[in-house]
Amino acid sequence: MSMPLAIECEGISKHYPHFQLQDVNLSFEQGTVMGLVGPNGAGKSTILRIVMGLIGPDSGSIKVLGHAMPKDQLAAKRNIGFVAEDMRLYETETMAFHMEFIKSIFSSWDDEYAKTLLRRFDLNKDQKVKGMSHGQRVKATLLLALARRPNLLVLDEPTTGLDPSVRKEVLDEMMNALADETHSILFSSHNTLDIEQISDYITFIYGGRVIESRNKEDFMDGWRRLRLTNMQNNPLPHLPNIKEVQQSGRLCSLTVNNYEDSIAEQCVNAGLQINNIEHLTLEEIFLANVASAKVNSNKGVAL
Amino acid sequence: MSSSMNSSIIPQLVRKDFLIMRKTILIFCLVSLVSIGILSVLFGRIPNWVLVNIAFIFLLAPAVTCGIVLLMKTIVFEKEKSTQLFIMSLPVTAKQLTLSKLLLNIPIFGAFWLAVSAVAFYFSFGLGVFPKGTVPFITIVFLGVFVAYTCILSVSLIFQSMPMSVLSIMIFELGTSAYLWAIVFLEPIQKHIYGSIMVWNSTAITIVVTQIVVAISILLMTLYIQSKKRSFI
Repeated sequence: MSMPLAIECEGISKHYPHFQLQDVNLSFEQGTVMGLVGPNGAGKSTILRIVMGLIGPDSGSIKVLGHAMPKDQLAAKRNIGFVAEDMRLYETETMAFHMEFIKSIFSSWDDEYAKTLLRRFDLNKDQKVKGMSHGQRVKATLLLALARRPNLLVLDEPTTGLDPSVRKEVLDEMMNALADETHSILFSSHNTLDIEQISDYITFIYGGRVIESRNKEDFMDGWRRLRLTNMQNNPLPHLPNIKEVQQSGRLCSLTVNNYEDSIAEQCVNAGLQINNIEHLTLEEIFLANVASAKVNSNKGVAL
Repeated sequence: MSSSMNSSIIPQLVRKDFLIMRKTILIFCLVSLVSIGILSVLFGRIPNWVLVNIAFIFLLAPAVTCGIVLLMKTIVFEKEKSTQLFIMSLPVTAKQLTLSKLLLNIPIFGAFWLAVSAVAFYFSFGLGVFPKGTVPFITIVFLGVFVAYTCILSVSLIFQSMPMSVLSIMIFELGTSAYLWAIVFLEPIQKHIYGSIMVWNSTAITIVVTQIVVAISILLMTLYIQSKKRSFI
């Protein structure tokens, strides 16, 4: 039996004067991690804020943990922990003040876990927020979200601006939060390494649109780069799967999505010599996707 | 484990804002007490009409300043400093958050306003500085201050913008003075103002009732507008 969906977005759109989120469909099951990847300004934060009920979409429907948003946001937000890179705590107050505040709201607050996180994150509960570094502030907001034991974590660029050691601490704790199959994470980043490390599903966002959304294995398996030698300067086969072509003299590389063995055969039939077939890193897949999206966008082709 | 929430979050939001603002509130309470002390010392040593003028400044200034500082820090700065994103990620709607801000700001300003009004009435009428005929006018003056405050509070809640709040403060500061001058020149008010008997004629009652209705309407309208907002960060 399949797990119920953690998040289900259908056709959500939001129009701003200089930006449009268009027809976004997004869904993943409870107990899994969905990573949103996109360049700055792609629409990741807007999607997460719509999911949280903080921004109302112009059209489309959103269900979070079975609750329609923003209509049932009270019920949904009882089980969501949200952390955003631009979220701030009260500067004049201490970590202890914030912990007491959240504890007074959520009866699910786990004191022992909060103390463990304080130690693990090396935070001083008596320190005022204004004296904290950026990394400490991110860890503080993550602690406040995690210690209430939410079923869903929504994290908007949680690792942006963090040094590698703090980033690892944050990512490790995000993984620890997935204690059982009912806990889920939706998080955005423009750091493909973070996404590749912990996501089960990956969605690429560009220009306010979802350009590809699949599970990580399909992503990593579906994209290949064919290194070819084109001795006779033969025309390349016209295949919709070819997303990027790079040529340097006789050497040629094709970046291909939804790779099948028949693609290599067609290249050979076209008189090309295959030197190597490589898997791509998530970053390379992302860059190829964005390049393809830009080309299609310039041609006025619907993505 | 399913996360659950204690019964109501509005009291927690009010308490949170109160705790953050407690030192500021305490400072303004002390300033008001010092002002009352100074006025008590001055009583009998300077002409009463001078004392009353000083009293209005000494008492109203800390009360109004406290109200403005409070709404700036708990409403406008909350948006400007991105703490509102933290609060709105909690199980709270825009309407509930607005209600929590009203439940903090109005009682605190209201307490200052009542105390100032009581002291001003005591100095004005208890000590016989003004004739009793001035009571309706002074009542209208103090209610006018409260209406102006609700307007500024409403603008701050709806726009959460420093320039808009400052503009509303300027407009209502100038507007309140102009309004009170207009009231004082109303014939049914003016003709009793120096009388020894307090006269609550239909004009005075209409103005007072209108002020109360306007203040309540502004607050209800603010709640309605906030509940209709589709984006609240």
